[in-house]
Amino acid sequence: MAVLVALSVVERATPVAAASRPPKFDYQLHTLDNGLSIILNEDHSTPIVHVSLWYHVGSKDEPRGRTGFAHLFEHMMFKGSKNVGPEQHTSLVASIGGQSNATTNEDTTIFWNTVPSQYLPMVLWMEADRMATLRVDDATFKQEREVVKEERRMRIDNQPYGRLQEILYDKAFEVHPYKHPVIGSMADLEAATVDNVREFYETYYVPGNATLTIVGDFDSKQALELITQYFGAIPKAARPLERKIPVEPQKTRERRETVYEEWPLPAVIVAYHITYDGDPDSYPLHIVSKVLSDGQSSRIYRRLVYQDRLALAAFGQANLIEHPNLFYAVAIVQPNATPESTTKALIEEIERLKTEPISARELQRAKNQFARDYIIGRESIQQKATHLAHAYVLHNGDVTTADGEFDIFQGITTADVQRVARRFFTPQNRFVLTILPKAAAPGGSPERPR
Amino acid sequence: MLSRLTNRQRTTIWGLLLTVLVSGALSTLAGADYEKTARWKAWPSSRMPKPLEARPVTFPPYEIRTLANGLKVVVVTQHEQPAVSLRMIVRAGAANDPQGRAGLANMVASLLDQGTATRSAGDVAEAIDYIGGALGAGAGTDLSFVNAIVMKDNFADGLTLLSDVARTPAFAPQEIERQRDQVVSALGVNAGDPEWVADAVIDRLIYGFHPYGLPGAGTATSVAAITRDDIVAFHQRWYAPNNAILAIVGDLSLDEAFAGAERVFGGWARRDVPAVRASEAPDATRRVIVVDRPGAVQTEIRVGNVAIPRKHADYEALDLAVKVLGGEGANRIQRVLRSERGLTYGASADIQALKQTGGIVAETDTRSETTGEALRLVVDEFFRLQREPVFELELADAQAYLTGNFPLTIETPDAIALQVLNVLFYDLDVKDLETYRARVNAIKSDDIQRVARGYLKPARLSIVLVGDARLVEPQLKSVGFGEFERVPIERLDLTAPNFLRPATAGGAH
Repeated sequence: MAVLVALSVVERATPVAAASRPPKFDYQLHTLDNGLSIILNEDHSTPIVHVSLWYHVGSKDEPRGRTGFAHLFEHMMFKGSKNVGPEQHTSLVASIGGQSNATTNEDTTIFWNTVPSQYLPMVLWMEADRMATLRVDDATFKQEREVVKEERRMRIDNQPYGRLQEILYDKAFEVHPYKHPVIGSMADLEAATVDNVREFYETYYVPGNATLTIVGDFDSKQALELITQYFGAIPKAARPLERKIPVEPQKTRERRETVYEEWPLPAVIVAYHITYDGDPDSYPLHIVSKVLSDGQSSRIYRRLVYQDRLALAAFGQANLIEHPNLFYAVAIVQPNATPESTTKALIEEIERLKTEPISARELQRAKNQFARDYIIGRESIQQKATHLAHAYVLHNGDVTTADGEFDIFQGITTADVQRVARRFFTPQNRFVLTILPKAAAPGGSPERPR
Repeated sequence: MLSRLTNRQRTTIWGLLLTVLVSGALSTLAGADYEKTARWKAWPSSRMPKPLEARPVTFPPYEIRTLANGLKVVVVTQHEQPAVSLRMIVRAGAANDPQGRAGLANMVASLLDQGTATRSAGDVAEAIDYIGGALGAGAGTDLSFVNAIVMKDNFADGLTLLSDVARTPAFAPQEIERQRDQVVSALGVNAGDPEWVADAVIDRLIYGFHPYGLPGAGTATSVAAITRDDIVAFHQRWYAPNNAILAIVGDLSLDEAFAGAERVFGGWARRDVPAVRASEAPDATRRVIVVDRPGAVQTEIRVGNVAIPRKHADYEALDLAVKVLGGEGANRIQRVLRSERGLTYGASADIQALKQTGGIVAETDTRSETTGEALRLVVDEFFRLQREPVFELELADAQAYLTGNFPLTIETPDAIALQVLNVLFYDLDVKDLETYRARVNAIKSDDIQRVARGYLKPARLSIVLVGDARLVEPQLKSVGFGEFERVPIERLDLTAPNFLRPATAGGAH
């Protein structure tokens, strides 16, 4: 029941050039009359089965004042339904040796179970039960809200650098809900009511907004019968789903800001507004991320951590999700370096992508690294299900991208990388954030732990 | 909550599950709002469907051979994804750091890929990155490791690189200085991370000045004291074929794997490796440390005591007991703290599996205002596990988790290899891999109570609270922990008996 923060978004599909191509998925697609999408992929190597349900709702569906609600709702899905008692989903799956959990990100809420394969009927039955008849009462809701507040304290407020992304996104975005964190603010969590829960359930937790994926040791025909039996009886949504998500305006000038936090070392971030996942120009941005920071031979590591010793840690990555998001590079500044020189070095490395093409060897290296991610990212049935569902839910039902992106990456050239760098890495698209230890603030307390 | 009396009479797990479900559903108060919706009324009441026929599952094939120089090699093959994973374990870690040199094993491991006899640090990075591989090295408590993953076409290159970094690291002075800087900066960051601090302090309390009690990455002082001679000597002493295990896992044949191991490691000379003398950990002693972090919004809580090493006849029964306390399948403390009271996002207890001795540690976090309550509840569960026999249902659930989980633990070839490595590393019997489920199922409620009485020390627990002392301390007396020591976080010294660095005139730096 974790918030999936942007940094840990599942590593995405890939290219290759020299390495052998991994096997393609062998899946079937189905849709029930009530709109439920189904992806089935048999894999009999081990007698286990993975079942996931992706609801196409995340923190970007939350209006102002309701931040954190999608994730809070995810927690409520464990509070029982007509035939399953509160907290029993988790304990029942555990008591057959299975694992289950859920995660919420900006775009989706994902419930998953991996169990010994003979328990497929039980898992489908439990997932259908909570899609159909969630128990929503005030006392349970209020108690679970406290759990989520503890989760926020644990993950964000009580961690050095825990608020780094929250600060960045709040300042980089003006109106698009990517501005706010998945976990939400304490004030909004406190203001949420049980009526909000019911409305959210009726709106988003409907078959037409859900994708059921099964990967593992099962028989597709039998699974489809079970799915029809358990999920087929859930009624269609009463009204069509309308999304009114504000569009972030084009940026017109560079912005720089400095804030103060109780962190041991300064952090600097250089961010650029980019495009969405699946846009043809998004693929070269993955190559950019690799060239800048995959491995110790990557440019940012080599320059900032190894050669100039400016940073304790540094990386740059494209956060490619459903709506246009950010590319950002972060460096934690070493005690004997300055935030200014570190920022300058980061910007120089990004500018270099525009002024000269990356070398053919760097491109090949990045493609080989993608092949690796692609291959080792498809070992478990959970990973396979994640790739299939991700392609289907976030690429408008085009599940072929789960395999096809491998070939897209093959075709990327050094000129593509340079063109895309020039398109996005402009000064007007740039936001530079410096986060200094509070002790360095004007009037800051020198007694604070360093 | 569910009715346990009914459940205890059941014999099969499946019967238990059904009963849990039905009693859970019945116990709901009738007439809640959600029950008045058309959606609810239209939905049938139903019972959980029966499972399908189970397929038999056995531990998958693997092969172990020992080279003439003593290097043990484990091979697991798979032919789905065109990749090969390589893992080398060396039987020495932070526990083997000499006195005053805490952090040495970690420094040695982190320098392995920073240059060898034939390649600079940059050459190593370029070699592994260009073939789309990954390479990493590190040190744990009892072991050090080097891992690599490469595509099958690059198996030979990957293996050669792994051998280079494990056998002939250069330990160039400039790389040592660079690594030392990194470690010292990272320690500075860790010192402000309440989770890291709580873990480090509970280890010191449980294991005292036994090597397990000191931080694996060392302290700023010990890391500053490490010389190149120390580094070379550690590598020379412990990195030997007869003190290592290699696993080769992936899309290749057994012959290819063993021939590859022979090619790159066959010429590595066997050496005499000193025997590790297990030192004694102190007896469990009740001690409460409050690490003061003014303004903290949450308190990190750790509660534990010293227990038994991994290779001990009671290990599996104790592991199961700790699962009931705070692990998958049962987890009393999660139920009490989170499900019943909403005090935390998570609570768990674990057994630390180590060579020389071991520990039991429960952990959770809660807001400052509920710290006393949460602490009391966790400690009470230590007492209860010792005082009362576990319910048959709870035991059955914990057993069912461990045994039912078996097919999930052998899904990937890497996971299979890790289990084999684990058995070899702890000098257990490889037959244990096959008989694990039978052994777990043979454990009875009486066994749980016996090991709980033998190894849990509820009256002599070590306790760490990292949080805002101003808010936390006033709660402690009323929950029975009136005696405690306060350590300001900026003065925390893990090597001092009282955990305190002497105050300096200029304040903390």
